[in-house]
Amino acid sequence: MPILSERGYLIPALDNESTDYVRCAQQLAHSIRQFEPEAKIAVVTLRRCADSVFDYVIPLPHGDCSTGDNKQCNDWQMFSASPFRQTIKLEADMIIASSIDHWWAMMQHRDVCISTGCRDYYDQPAQSRFYRKLFDTNNLPDVYNAITYWRVSDTAKEFFKLVRAIFENWTEYRKLLKFADEEASTDVVYAMAAKIVGVEQCTMPFASYPQIVHMKKHIINTRTNDWTRELVWETDPLRIQTVAQWGAFHYHIKDWQP
Amino acid sequence: MTTGALIFAFNNAEINYVSMAAWNAGNIQRHLGIPTSLVTDCIDPSCNDVYDKFDRVIVVEKPRAGTRHFSDIGTTVDWYNTNRMDAYSLTPYDQTLVIDADYVVCSSVLNVALTRDQDFQCFQEAFDITGTNDFNSLNTFGEHSFPMWWATVMIFKKSTAAQYIFDSMQMVRDNWQHYRDLYKIQRPTYRNDFALSIALGIYSGHTLKVDSIQHQLATVLPEHRLQQMSKDDYRIEYSTSTGTLKYITLRGVSFHAMCKRDLGAIVANPL
Repeated sequence: MPILSERGYLIPALDNESTDYVRCAQQLAHSIRQFEPEAKIAVVTLRRCADSVFDYVIPLPHGDCSTGDNKQCNDWQMFSASPFRQTIKLEADMIIASSIDHWWAMMQHRDVCISTGCRDYYDQPAQSRFYRKLFDTNNLPDVYNAITYWRVSDTAKEFFKLVRAIFENWTEYRKLLKFADEEASTDVVYAMAAKIVGVEQCTMPFASYPQIVHMKKHIINTRTNDWTRELVWETDPLRIQTVAQWGAFHYHIKDWQP
Repeated sequence: MTTGALIFAFNNAEINYVSMAAWNAGNIQRHLGIPTSLVTDCIDPSCNDVYDKFDRVIVVEKPRAGTRHFSDIGTTVDWYNTNRMDAYSLTPYDQTLVIDADYVVCSSVLNVALTRDQDFQCFQEAFDITGTNDFNSLNTFGEHSFPMWWATVMIFKKSTAAQYIFDSMQMVRDNWQHYRDLYKIQRPTYRNDFALSIALGIYSGHTLKVDSIQHQLATVLPEHRLQQMSKDDYRIEYSTSTGTLKYITLRGVSFHAMCKRDLGAIVANPL
């Protein structure tokens, strides 16, 4: 993909049988535009999408590599799919609750920057390691691919080359890990790639942002997985249990439409 | 600018809060060098020597009672605490230290907060002074663990910000059932700490970014035994999780005495 803009947001939205990720991406794009009307936004999809909220609708450059319902193995294609010199990739099932323009100032000096750690809706660092046992056991960096910055560079090229290699050779790579899952997840693959490229090259663990607000049960101590039925939420501005949200809010309940 | 302390004290069948307040007024004068005013409903001419400890005695109607179980006393008592937000209108001072009668002032550490240029301050986190209990559950409230700010000690200047916070506390109190439902607070009893926390949430624009007193609230729990050794020295006996009896001594450390029975005995028999 040729470079068409200096910088912009890239949203992978690869639908599977259970989830309409394009709808999630539209919701995310609209939330970005609320704070940055002039932002450049690209969506990478498996289908056509006519929503003008996107500046670019991009098909997977190498086609769908997945054999089943899990489309994560296509993630390595985001590097070549991006029309931006500097890209912030955002997972589709998030909304932006405040301006994130300042992220660029922080990350523009890096070649690759994967967000590290996550927060609860009280804006406190998540305490639970329930979802991160694999990372802790294998001493992997605590990365979340939900927010990933890169600029066109050798480091980014190498990083995504590794991401591709790990996805395509997961049966071999998973032998390097204790208690690895049968299927590769993007976070684990990014963590392994970051470790090979150099954690200090790919993360900023000392920075308090960018980080997602993670709404998974064990992070926010809800009784059920579906927080949307358990917590009081308000929109414009987004508040959870009366607490104002900011930055990237990873709602993870895919059919939530605030 | 005038600065003074304000103590709310409404006696109940078990606890003489007015005596506790008078005793603490002496501590406040010694360590912080400021006068104390009493807010109470209790005017007993035979207790004039107690009232003499105060700069002013402000008589108000007894607020409506809640009930609270005090485990060290072993009984549930009436608890008159629902008018703390009136501090803003009742205080005779430009800057006020609103303090619970059971917050024992043994040092000048609050002077640091009193000299800060802030309209409103209070403690955000409390801790068990013996280090035996995890206070996580006490530093939050409601089913979803909303962060707690403690109303035990509040410092405010006459200002729009402080008035807004106290007005919000009043709104929470007046609509307590609604806020109980919203924050999923199991116990029906109204608490100033909860109302203050909710009010600070509102005041902060729901961001919870609030400038608090810059140290934590030392707390002696009801299950601990408190003894006064000398004017500002206290001995606290406690049991470890394995049942071993231990003690610590505090010298010049201000603390919140939740052990009302022991504090009452100390106040009744001053050194």
